[in-house]
Amino acid sequence: MKRTITAAAATVALAGLVLTGCSGQAAPAEEEGPVTLTVSVWNYDQTPEFKALFEAFEAENPDITIEPVDILADDYAEKLTTMLSGGDTTDVLTMKNVTDYSRYANRGQLLDVTDTVNAMDTDKIAGLDPYQVDDVYYAVPYRQDFWLLYYNKGLFDAAGLDYPDHITWDEYADLAAKLTDDAANPKVYGSYQHTWRSVTQATAAAQTDGDLLSGDYGFMDDQYELFLGLQQSGSALDYATAKSQQISYRTMFETGQAAMMPMGSWYIAGIKAAIDGGTSTVDWGVAPLPQVESGEDTVTFGSPTAFAINTKSAHQAAAKKFLEFAAGEEGAKAIAAIGVVPAYGSDAVAEAFTALPTDDLSVTTFNEPKTVALEMPVSENTSDISTILDEEHDLIMVGEASVGDGIGAMDDRVTSEVLG
Amino acid sequence: MAVTAPAPLATRERTKRRRRLRDIAVGWSFILPNFAGFALLTLVPMAGAFVLAFMEWDSFTPPEWVGLDNFERMLGDPTFWIALGNTAYYAIGHIPLTMAASLGLALLLNRRLRGLGFFRTAMFFPYVTSLVAVAVVWNMLFNPTAGPINQALEFFGVADPPGWTSSSAWAMPAVIITSVWRDMGYYMVLYLTGLQAIPTEYHEAAEVDGANAWQRFWNVTIPSLRPTTFFVLVMITISSFKVFDLIVVMTDGGPGRATTVLSQLIYRQGIIENRFGYSSAIALVLFVIVLAFTAAQFTLQKRKEL
Repeated sequence: MKRTITAAAATVALAGLVLTGCSGQAAPAEEEGPVTLTVSVWNYDQTPEFKALFEAFEAENPDITIEPVDILADDYAEKLTTMLSGGDTTDVLTMKNVTDYSRYANRGQLLDVTDTVNAMDTDKIAGLDPYQVDDVYYAVPYRQDFWLLYYNKGLFDAAGLDYPDHITWDEYADLAAKLTDDAANPKVYGSYQHTWRSVTQATAAAQTDGDLLSGDYGFMDDQYELFLGLQQSGSALDYATAKSQQISYRTMFETGQAAMMPMGSWYIAGIKAAIDGGTSTVDWGVAPLPQVESGEDTVTFGSPTAFAINTKSAHQAAAKKFLEFAAGEEGAKAIAAIGVVPAYGSDAVAEAFTALPTDDLSVTTFNEPKTVALEMPVSENTSDISTILDEEHDLIMVGEASVGDGIGAMDDRVTSEVLG
Repeated sequence: MAVTAPAPLATRERTKRRRRLRDIAVGWSFILPNFAGFALLTLVPMAGAFVLAFMEWDSFTPPEWVGLDNFERMLGDPTFWIALGNTAYYAIGHIPLTMAASLGLALLLNRRLRGLGFFRTAMFFPYVTSLVAVAVVWNMLFNPTAGPINQALEFFGVADPPGWTSSSAWAMPAVIITSVWRDMGYYMVLYLTGLQAIPTEYHEAAEVDGANAWQRFWNVTIPSLRPTTFFVLVMITISSFKVFDLIVVMTDGGPGRATTVLSQLIYRQGIIENRFGYSSAIALVLFVIVLAFTAAQFTLQKRKEL
């Protein structure tokens, strides 16, 4: 008797397992009535774009309530991976970067949303290409950040210099030297290059057609020489200090300690918030990222952020509706209004983007046609190569390896440890 | 008054056995809560990790048996060897320095002194302070250009002071100095209890025999402290090989790979790269190293006692 019960219980449990395993694949019938959609997000309180999107979506779809699943930004990728491997059913998953996206897509954890994407105005969505895996889309981007040059108008005016309108890197170095003021307290640096390797490496890759996954990194040579020259001449805060003191790029720019700074477009919303909140009085503008040669079209780099749907979601129709909204014009207007750069571009969206200074250069910078290369190309080796590039970048910038030796070490290590 | 007849032998045996069983059950019930937690949360996952070391697993697809592949990969992975070297470097610096510093402090504070409680508490403070705060403050002290440490060095005539955490050669010493500072208070407390357990008669007898302070320290204090020293040594050794948090918050393994240690590599390969097999294999190697050192220390200690 007892044994029969145990056996029956085991059978039921097993059947339950098998059934839940299957139900993830089959699209469940669309339910009637109100739906609650869960969306994975990071640092919900400090990332206002999520709230703006969700509120705009709920206003248009009164039947659907969105519930954010808040995750610490620093641990986002690891946490999401753990959740998914545990069979989590969060409906919509925010793809923080393309590398992680391709991992989830290749593991079959994301729903095919090709139909949804094709039904949209794809010409107007920037940064869509990287999401296509074997002719299938598993996500659609809603924001597309790109890098530009932030500059402090007050410091330019005080030095009697013209604003950095479509300049070259050589001109950038000249301006940086002229804008540096050793006598000021705290010292004013003409430029600030943040410690991330992308500032040097992704810039060089985008503007010289280099490939960050190739194992051949000679194309970074000039960019490294330029930035090292700036810190040696004192026109930029040295990397060793910036890194060991964990200097915030926001502090450098918002307190007027740096006159020019290459940085991503996400910072537009950040400056606006700092000025509105009274913590900064910086008079700022944006210009295109400096180029290698003058007179060419602007080439910069950036990375899109996207929404995808969990294959285990029980509300796939509602989730698709959300993707369509977030990546479309209405969603774009909602996030543009708070200074976040949407992937979807149109005149109406540009008009909603009010965080930008209104001077001609800033507006041109934003609206001019430009090539935006992907910050880090995607392959199964991206993460391993990225680690090596980070480590060698560190050694070049603290001055322990010469540019040639450092780049040589990148070549050797990527070739032998990853590609080989 | 009735005299109870002695119980038959069999019954007495049975009562005895029952009592013994009950004693055992009571004993088990005392350690059960702790042991159950240990078994469930430590022993089982540990055994699982040992098995995983011979598999390839990304936490999504079912694990696949790969035999010794992970260990082969380790042999050919330069980062593993660098991390192993760095871990040894850290241990070699951290173990003797922490022991010397904590013993010195304990000797200093093992006497009648005005404000003794205050000094003892002050020395223990670093150990209970948040590690992130410790790292931030020490990073400021170690600031290569404007930090107080380098300014002091320059004041004393050091023309080219080290770059500390921004230099490959000095990053590890910087981490070791910080970790000694953080840990010495804790081990000082252990040494203090050891010192106070030494009977004063020993010192008095040595004094009567004409031993000076140094001779008394060397021939009375040090040998009497042996059990404490052994315990402290084992604890510091284990914690040195497992160092993770301090490195992550101070240098994150940099510059380059100058301070990357094994536990960090385990984390990176497992949690970040999802190579749980390889990560478990490195963890197994670290476990064997720690086990070997601890076993060696126990053997040496036993030999000395004989």
